Amino acid sequence: MVFGVQRIFNLACGSFYALGAYAGVSAVEWFLRAGGPPGLFVVPLIVAGVAAGALGLVVERGLLRFVYDRDETFQLLLTFALVLMLEDLVRMTWGTAPRSTGGLYLSYGQVRILGATVPVYNLLVIAASVAIALGIGWLLTRTAFGRIIRATADNREMAEALGVDMRTVYAKVFTLGTALGTLGGALVIPATAAMSEMGIELIVEAFAVVVIGGLGSMRGAFVGALIVGVLRALAIAVYQELEMLLIYAIVIAVLVLRPRGLFGGSAA
Amino acid sequence: MSTLPGGAGRWVLAAALVAALLVPHVAPTYHVLLMLPFMAYGVILLGLNLLFGYTGLVSFGHALFVGLGAYAGAVLTGLLGVRHMELILLAAAAGAALVAAAVGALCVRYVKIYFGMLTLAFGMVFYTFLLKFYRFTGGDEGMPVLRPALLGWPLSAMPKTDYLAGPYYYYSLAVLVLAGVLMWRIVHSPFGLCLRTIRDNPLKAEALGIGVTRYRWWAFLISAVYAGVGGALLGPPTGNVDPTLAYWTHSGNIVFMTLLGGFAHFFGPLVGAFAFIYLQDWVMSVFPYWRLVFGAILAALVIAAPGGLMGLATRWTRGGARAEAGPR
Amino acid sequence: MQTTRRGFLKGVGAAGAVGILGAPAVVRAQARPGVPSDPVKIGVLAARAGITAPVGAAGLRGTEWWRDRVNASGGILGRRVELLVEEETNPKDTVERYRKLVLQEKVDVVVGGISTGVTLALGPAVEELDTPWLAWDGTTQKGVEETLLRPKWAFRSVDNEVEAIVGAILTAKYFKGIKTVIGLGNDYSYGHDCWQSYQAALKRYMPDVQFVQGLFTKLGTTDFTSHVATIQQSKADLLMCSFWSGDAPIVMKQAAAAGLFKSMKGVFTTAGGVHDALKKEFTPEGLLLGYNSMYFEDPKGSPLLKQFVREYQAKHKEYPAYESDHAYFCVESYKAAVEKAYAQSRQWPSKEQVVKALEGIEVESLSGKRAWREDHIMMCNFYQGITTHKNPYDFATIAPVEVVSTRQAMKPAGAKLFDWIAGWKI
Repeated sequence: MVFGVQRIFNLACGSFYALGAYAGVSAVEWFLRAGGPPGLFVVPLIVAGVAAGALGLVVERGLLRFVYDRDETFQLLLTFALVLMLEDLVRMTWGTAPRSTGGLYLSYGQVRILGATVPVYNLLVIAASVAIALGIGWLLTRTAFGRIIRATADNREMAEALGVDMRTVYAKVFTLGTALGTLGGALVIPATAAMSEMGIELIVEAFAVVVIGGLGSMRGAFVGALIVGVLRALAIAVYQELEMLLIYAIVIAVLVLRPRGLFGGSAA
Repeated sequence: MSTLPGGAGRWVLAAALVAALLVPHVAPTYHVLLMLPFMAYGVILLGLNLLFGYTGLVSFGHALFVGLGAYAGAVLTGLLGVRHMELILLAAAAGAALVAAAVGALCVRYVKIYFGMLTLAFGMVFYTFLLKFYRFTGGDEGMPVLRPALLGWPLSAMPKTDYLAGPYYYYSLAVLVLAGVLMWRIVHSPFGLCLRTIRDNPLKAEALGIGVTRYRWWAFLISAVYAGVGGALLGPPTGNVDPTLAYWTHSGNIVFMTLLGGFAHFFGPLVGAFAFIYLQDWVMSVFPYWRLVFGAILAALVIAAPGGLMGLATRWTRGGARAEAGPR
Repeated sequence: MQTTRRGFLKGVGAAGAVGILGAPAVVRAQARPGVPSDPVKIGVLAARAGITAPVGAAGLRGTEWWRDRVNASGGILGRRVELLVEEETNPKDTVERYRKLVLQEKVDVVVGGISTGVTLALGPAVEELDTPWLAWDGTTQKGVEETLLRPKWAFRSVDNEVEAIVGAILTAKYFKGIKTVIGLGNDYSYGHDCWQSYQAALKRYMPDVQFVQGLFTKLGTTDFTSHVATIQQSKADLLMCSFWSGDAPIVMKQAAAAGLFKSMKGVFTTAGGVHDALKKEFTPEGLLLGYNSMYFEDPKGSPLLKQFVREYQAKHKEYPAYESDHAYFCVESYKAAVEKAYAQSRQWPSKEQVVKALEGIEVESLSGKRAWREDHIMMCNFYQGITTHKNPYDFATIAPVEVVSTRQAMKPAGAKLFDWIAGWKI
């Protein structure tokens, strides 16, 4: 979304994901210490995930807006600077040991689907991501704000000429984009753990998803994520050596044959 | 075509050269050794800036060629028993050229973000290859680089530190100077002029009959060869090469160095490499959260001083020149 | 403290002489003859970021705890200990930091180093700079058998494969009925080496065991659902996992979610490194769990260990893992070597003398006695056991605790690993 509207490829999106993860863990810990019922741990988790997105506003207002009129590569470099800074800020706040919410996510139980045992929490996350995707879709197509976003993505000058306040739009879009990232990090964390440098590792995968799906397209991101996820699972099951290489090969193939990706907008 | 930078620049350059020649005799050993990566990165950045400053393309995967050059040294000395630095440099250059020919052909068709992303992807492919195929590449442990002979002299009796702070230092300096002279000729040639035209106005360039893609491809190739040679210089001082040399954050750091020095000036990258290495050395010892400091410096650069250190210097001395346009 | 009577008297004599001559009264612990008065500088290479960061932190904390104790009781031969800490990052930069410590900061000794890529690069660099280096970790056969055959200055940790071998020995003891084994490890030298050694060692005890598959994941992976599914479908009797960092509790969690260990046995050779993340909710009883060379709850643990664990937990809110003891041993053995060499020469020892004194030295470390073998490889005990929930914590511990010495589980100096395993008398 951020790329579609602002044409910024945010290298720090992995770092925001990591931030959401750590924030989520802390929120759950605080919640439990304050006596909250363990069964409701998703509540502080989601709240933290969304709240951490507020950092997006700080970043956008405090840093990014200075470079909107610059060459795209400068914007890219600024997001790289963000990656470095966020990495150490996270380390300063949460230390280097992996943080997790322990076994809480198992407390929702498991179900058997198609012969495999799946934790209910995983199903919850899948449902949540579908809900979020639908929600964003609704936002984009049915609300005034969504129309503005789409108009700006299509033709920035025109939108501005029609009286759209770019500053507010950019601020909102970037914050929304960040919040999506942090929420994603928070939601996934109960099943895994928050670890040092997870943001740097993630950006490569995120990049693959977005390229395959098409930069700037929400549908593309959804489909891209599905493709990458399924491919990885297949690779692991069949020939694991190829796992990451296969993904890169497809990224390169997509960039060469259909640079817009499956659903993306214009190329160069 | 200028054969040397004009005026005051000439004296500064001469002074720098003299200082560089004297360093092994006057500076403490550690600082002499610190100059070695500086010189290697100097070569790499001279090449990168041909692409960045003069052609307007920012590669986020140049660590690929750095890694390629470094591993060339390991393969030659460790596996093939070839110990001549000249052959290593040649192999690094040739290997980089071959890979760049293919990769470049794909990448230069795109610009800006897409170019950056494609190069990042290729860089990570190489990194993954180095990591996964550990039977050939040593995986995460990497491969050792044995001490190469310089200009035919094996110098194996010399203690490694003396070798590095003496003969190897001067050898690297010679390579850097040669690379610099060559790059100077390139950017001041008609070819260089075409690149700048392409950077400033690709449509006009096309209209003038300059094959935009072809010229970009050549720039990519040359910058890759420089990166490979610089990478080969990085190997012997460490004695080992490993996949992290090709990781995307290494590519990011290389671009950072170029920006720090100032991509709009021929000597900007050299200033950037020097500043980055010494800054990193100092900050890392003093402050555990040095990444924060470096991130902040990069952010400040991008926002307030995109012309880098050289940009600040020219602004200071000449009272304001456009920083972002790239070298004239 | 190894103060001989003669040394003490000499100290008193020197202090008395100073007092008589009316020299400025600088109050110091013990001014000894032949010992400089400035602090002794120890360089530390500690990982601060990435996957090795928690382990690096454990090592650094153990070193700092040692420093505080030593300085509180007068330092080494009266000299205060000063730690100069540099960060272990990638091999190229870490070699540069090492050179800075030795050439610029002029430290007397360097300790640290965890990741195998870094230690492999450091080895040759160390040998050039004529300063002892005591490594915490990261010892692969490539280093021992190929690149650094007979190091003069480098002292290296226990072989990486020891815990896999111990795991195999104990598998044969506790899981006698198994027929098939599937392996899971990190996709780098450590993961591969452990899997190879485990198979070789187990085959000697249980020749009919089939090894179904070895799965390897990139360090830093956080999602193992596909791997767990593959493991489940293999229907192997036992899973051998050599994860040592944040991924161990994650895979344990995801395995629990899939009910993996309801039907399968598990051997986690090194997950004791993150032991307090292995919460009871998802870590079943009955698994074989390895703690490398230090188990914080060793029932036979010394008062020193108990004190360390207590103070570590109070300060850091975590229970210490084995790297703390690797680190403690490195600096404690250095101190002991200095004192041993001093006792013979009455002079603060040169670096060569320290190296000589280190060879063969044995000291009381946190987990018990440890030593440096003549070929500069560490000797110690390994602790593994069966997981239990009968403890006052929210994470699993082990009972009974099996203790296997490197005398049994690590190849002797000069031997080739797999030849040595093949030659075992069972």
